[in-house]
Amino acid sequence: MHGNTGKIINIDLSAGLISIETLPEEWYRLYIGGSGLAAKIFLERGNFALEPLAPEAMLIFMNGPFAGLKLSGASRGSVAGCSPLTGHWGDSSCGGYFAPELRYCGFDGLVVTGRSIKPSLIHIEGDSVALLPADEYWGLGTEETTRLLKGRFGKESRTMTIGPAGENGVKFANIIHEGQNAAGRAGFGALMGSKNLKALVVKAQEKKLAPADPEGCETLRQELNGRINEALASSVLRENGTAANLIGGVYSGDVPVKNWSSNFWEEAAEALNGTTLTEKYLTRRTGCRYCGIACKRIVEVKEGPFAVSEGGGPEYETIVAFGTLMGSLDLAATCKAGRLCNDFGMDTISCGATIAWAMEAFERGDLTCEETDGRELNWGDMATVLDVLLPAIVRKEEKLGALLAEGSRAAAGRLGKGFAYTAQSKGLEAPMHDPRGGGYGLALSYAVSARGACHVADPMLFVEMGARYYPEIGFDYVLTPQSEENKAASAAVSVALGAIENSACFCQFADAEVTIPDWLALFKTVAGYEWDAEEFLKAGRRVFYLKRIINSRYGLTGQDDDLTLRMRAPGSGGEAQDAFFDLEKMKACFYELMKIDPESGLPTKAALADSGMFDELARLPAQ
Amino acid sequence: MQYWKDSQEAVTAITRLFESVSHDPELGESMKKVNQLILFDYSESGPGCAIWVDTRNGKYEFGAGDPPGAPDLIMSLSADDAHLSWSNKLNPVMAITRKKIRVKGSATGLLKLAPKLKKVAVIYEQVLKELGWEDKIVK
Repeated sequence: MHGNTGKIINIDLSAGLISIETLPEEWYRLYIGGSGLAAKIFLERGNFALEPLAPEAMLIFMNGPFAGLKLSGASRGSVAGCSPLTGHWGDSSCGGYFAPELRYCGFDGLVVTGRSIKPSLIHIEGDSVALLPADEYWGLGTEETTRLLKGRFGKESRTMTIGPAGENGVKFANIIHEGQNAAGRAGFGALMGSKNLKALVVKAQEKKLAPADPEGCETLRQELNGRINEALASSVLRENGTAANLIGGVYSGDVPVKNWSSNFWEEAAEALNGTTLTEKYLTRRTGCRYCGIACKRIVEVKEGPFAVSEGGGPEYETIVAFGTLMGSLDLAATCKAGRLCNDFGMDTISCGATIAWAMEAFERGDLTCEETDGRELNWGDMATVLDVLLPAIVRKEEKLGALLAEGSRAAAGRLGKGFAYTAQSKGLEAPMHDPRGGGYGLALSYAVSARGACHVADPMLFVEMGARYYPEIGFDYVLTPQSEENKAASAAVSVALGAIENSACFCQFADAEVTIPDWLALFKTVAGYEWDAEEFLKAGRRVFYLKRIINSRYGLTGQDDDLTLRMRAPGSGGEAQDAFFDLEKMKACFYELMKIDPESGLPTKAALADSGMFDELARLPAQ
Repeated sequence: MQYWKDSQEAVTAITRLFESVSHDPELGESMKKVNQLILFDYSESGPGCAIWVDTRNGKYEFGAGDPPGAPDLIMSLSADDAHLSWSNKLNPVMAITRKKIRVKGSATGLLKLAPKLKKVAVIYEQVLKELGWEDKIVK
């Protein structure tokens, strides 16, 4: 096997058993790696009657075929399983240094089951894998845990850790890599915590890769690195981070305000923009391993109520989730919020969205001082958010902390009020891109995404703004964001490309410079696949279908491909004033193009047969 | 060229646009915040067809031909696409992706300006009317 190693590590924490398994090569060819291969493993082995935090629940870490290749954008990895936040399929992508290091050790991934009696960690060094006690790290934040682990295992070791949020079962707890990068979404920190697994530590002894065509691969790698690193978008991201174009987002109506009650707040354009972050707080730039884009920030807020020492800075999502979404324009507060959430091990999107929802619930009187333990939740009161609410959520303290630690959908359900103004799909809080301004196709993309509302499930956001087009496959639409025209057709291609990105574990920013012929050449020179464009897209569609089959096993249907009323309300303010999309119309067209049964939400038998998914076809219920 | 008789027409219209923008308090201020020397290189549409605008250190100066120093940002596009762009009829992201606009240098200023294109387009239409070039207005 080329590219991938074919080997995964199975770990049963209950029994303390570790085994190395070689997966069928056919699975790689069909589902690529990353979240696609994880989905195949999950479908084959999953017990769908289990609660998400049951000891037997699977927690999967999976690389793509290009990890370790020294290619910009290729150093990401997937974490996957049944989401503790949503109760169905979830996957989360994480950049940084972990994926290449694991590949250099000779492994594609890990499948962790069971529950350790005491806090433990998984230590991988070269091809040696061990379970070690981790009592001394339990209760510590991710920054301190990372520092101690590097002190113990060497600074070149790469770590994935949970913080107190994961230990305490906060439903949107995440997994933090090297203290700054996050497998952020879907709550896998809670799953890891439920297993008493504090950390993974990996360190390679040599950098060995086996591409199918080493010479061709090297030529392609150099060419792509040059193109990716020199692209205009890359230079913008390098200069001012992922919030570099927040200013454009504000004016187009893409930036949600006060729990999505509005999508225009002009002052935010200057106050929260990436250039402002650079000018006021940036100390240096950083990035994932081998990536020349370097979109990540290191910041320091020297003084004021939200002073924070030098460390990982906020990305766009954090800036908006703890900025406009909560009615605040305080950029320093977003820096501190990001650091606190990373240290606690919590997803800033779900956390910010859940707090913003609570602020609106309090304003409406749906949430009273009785449920808030006497606290007032007011828009823009960032001192209360950072000093009181975040610690309360992490500890699931008293009524309010325990309520918000469940995420917005479950909190509204428990309260019996406020569901309509949650901003989520399938239980996953929506990211900080508002389809009313960002583009109606994004609404469709959010609705049909298997893990729930997600802007990285596919590249629709970029497709609609005009930053992606693929003339090689006839994908050459000139799209108007505030229109349904051609959005279903665009989404049909976009979901396939997104599935490829997430299975190949490739960064969306870097992928903007990769053409379809480049992708084909990558798969050929690295994995040895002789794909044409149609076979390539078919692979993407297979992964998209597979995740829907998994969700069907959890009882989800076409009706779950939906957005809440708040997200479907007309836009208010700015260029997206009164913007209103017809989700049902786009969805019906998308289902038809993708050969999905509208009722069950499952791919049709014809779709599975066309895609070569014969195992799944044989097990598909009657339609 | 589809919209211009010759390259001088493009230079006339676009330098006049920059002059009008300088009289608009909001846009004038926005331009100064860009704090860059930008060269709009339309030279593929004809010799000398280039316009620069210098907003470094609180200045607001512009002219045709060679810029007064090394530009912080060079935007290369045809004079026809420039016309569409100032008319707000060309999605700049799409144009860059499709290589209709080539950008060299720091695009920070460009991003700050992009949201103002709608207002610039209103002024540009007025400029075309003042020049008696209503026929060039893109609807």
